[in-house]
Amino acid sequence: MIMVGHRPRPSPPHEAMQQKKAEDTDQKRPKFFINDHVDILIEILKHLDGPSLCVASCVCRLWCTIARNDSLWEHLCFRHVSSPAPSTVRPVVVALGGYKRLYMVCVRPVLSRLGHSDRVRRRVWTREVVQLSLSLFCVDYYERRLGDASASSLMFLCKPVNV
Amino acid sequence: MSSGKAKIWEEEQDAGGGGGVDELLAVLGYKVKCSEMNDVADKLEQLEMVMGAAPNLLCDTVHYNPSDLSGWLQSMLSELNNPPNTLNYRMLQSHHIDDPLHVRAESSSVTTNPQQQQFETTQSARIYDDDSEYDLRAIPGSAAYPQTQDGELNRKRLKTSGGSNSAPPLLPSSSPIVGVAAAGTVSEPTRSIVLVDSHETGVQLVHTLMACAEAVQQDNLKLADALVKRVELLAASQAGAMGKVATYFAEALARRIYKIYPQDCLDASSSDILQMHFYETCPYLKFAHFTANQAILEAFATASKVHVIDFGLKQGMQWPALIQALALRPGGPPAFRLTGIGPPQADNMDALQQVGWKLAQLAEAIGVEFQFRGFVANSLADIDPSMVDVRPDEAVAVNSVFELHPMLARPGAIDKVLSSIKSMKPKIFTIVEQEANHNGPFFVERFNEALHYYSSLFDSLEGSGLVPPTQDLLMSEVYLGEQICNVVASDGADRVERHETLTQWRARMGMAGFEPVHLGSNAFRQASMLLALFAGGNGYRVEENNGCLMLGWHTRPLIATSAWQLIVSDSP
Repeated sequence: MIMVGHRPRPSPPHEAMQQKKAEDTDQKRPKFFINDHVDILIEILKHLDGPSLCVASCVCRLWCTIARNDSLWEHLCFRHVSSPAPSTVRPVVVALGGYKRLYMVCVRPVLSRLGHSDRVRRRVWTREVVQLSLSLFCVDYYERRLGDASASSLMFLCKPVNV
Repeated sequence: MSSGKAKIWEEEQDAGGGGGVDELLAVLGYKVKCSEMNDVADKLEQLEMVMGAAPNLLCDTVHYNPSDLSGWLQSMLSELNNPPNTLNYRMLQSHHIDDPLHVRAESSSVTTNPQQQQFETTQSARIYDDDSEYDLRAIPGSAAYPQTQDGELNRKRLKTSGGSNSAPPLLPSSSPIVGVAAAGTVSEPTRSIVLVDSHETGVQLVHTLMACAEAVQQDNLKLADALVKRVELLAASQAGAMGKVATYFAEALARRIYKIYPQDCLDASSSDILQMHFYETCPYLKFAHFTANQAILEAFATASKVHVIDFGLKQGMQWPALIQALALRPGGPPAFRLTGIGPPQADNMDALQQVGWKLAQLAEAIGVEFQFRGFVANSLADIDPSMVDVRPDEAVAVNSVFELHPMLARPGAIDKVLSSIKSMKPKIFTIVEQEANHNGPFFVERFNEALHYYSSLFDSLEGSGLVPPTQDLLMSEVYLGEQICNVVASDGADRVERHETLTQWRARMGMAGFEPVHLGSNAFRQASMLLALFAGGNGYRVEENNGCLMLGWHTRPLIATSAWQLIVSDSP
């Protein structure tokens, strides 16, 4: 039965009762709509990598708001680190520009470059990778403050690597 | 009418350009009659076929007239078709001589267009005409001066253009070119034509530079002048790092020869800008900062008040990372004081204060208590320790990145600086210096050392793979070029780039009363990681050397970081 545009005419009580029953059964089958469950959504989004998270933020407004939440990016930055980061790290990172920026500008290129380099062993360096990224991030912040709009100190991270 | 016109045309041909020669070739110094062009093309084709068929064949023809392309082609062909038996096969054994022949045999550019072929040969056809008065025997290894008795022929020495490695070297256009590998094996007075590829040009470049330095040291300025011009020509045809280095060295040598001493070195703000570009392009400065910071951080592990004295503040690029590391220190950040020393800046009196202000903003943002003080001084030796205001309850670190070696230019300056440092009672004194000896007493050894050092450095810049070259890269080259100029062209108190090796600094520090502090594995790992991030990262090497860290390009260490503390005396 297709209703086009207008409200259904008020039907006689008997038919209305039948209609309502039909609707009830429909509603009894639970429609799971992820946007109704933001906490589950966040948990799922936490498992995405950076590019996927950016893509996810284009899905809808809710997803966009969530994906912009820095705590998701914080999780991403420290995902591979065995011990949790000390609580002092967060205010520093936030002051320097936030976790999303830290990830995009430093952590991601550093991880991908080091992944290519065979000289550095994988397991050991995760915490040090974060430390190095933080240092570079700080240098980046400082350079931007120096007034150099093109803050090129980290450009070496953007250039394609001869691997 | 038409016959009349034809006559005029013939007359013009006869009148102009030396008897109807092809104009384009004439520009390059070859006289080929227009009527003979087809003939010349045929001969070239034949020659290529002959040489392609038997690549080991060398020709003993002696060429007296390099501009007569047709003539010598003919003589070569006749000889090759009737192979002589006086070939010097030992010359063939070096691999690189074979290669150019092979490559040439495959290329088709030789036959189709003789004009094009000549374009690829260097223009030195004309230029070397009058170098007979200069005795090029000085060039070692007979690289440029084959040991034959025939002096007249050596007057015209040409070589094919190195160009880029992709362009195959072409037929030599005149008298013999003897590859370096042939040096010493040419004992008979026969002449052989060997092609020179760009690797050869590079080696010849180095030899010529070294010969020029010798000439300068012996005060044989006429020879030096000739050699330096030759270097400039060779360098222009050499692509890549070697060409650039050679150009800078040639310019510096020229200054020395003509006694144009660099009157005023770059003013401080320009040199800061250049160093910033150098900072951004390659990892040397970042390595220096990170390793020194790690040493300072470890020394400050338990201090609640720290004071860092930086001998060359410049843009303060070293300190944000340290401030951040102190902020995240377990146990919380200490109170951080920074004293920055810098040279007077002509246009910007407050440069130091501006840097201090920016650092203060950073420190405030991340929650580190920060104080800054700036000192302007012409020389570190002018700093009085009392001015620095070291307080008794603070841990002091002194940091010098490339600031100590200029002190060696004036007698007594380095000792004064070291004793000032001692009176500041630092917990740690970090030094980063170039790993090279550019302070020897003799010019030639300094020159050769510098040549090798800066060749490696430029090589590493090239390895950064920036194509097309960015402004940063070019500025970095200028930055290094300034150093080259100072090492080669200056002397006395002006020569401030008096680099010394780690071993030499160790001895000096030991005598002054310092003992080494070993940089730990943290610093090593961090440095390795940093280098792995750079394009060309496989070329950079971190080495540990008795507690000091050295960063080098392939096998050559280029800068060294070391840390020092006052010798703890046994007496209480």
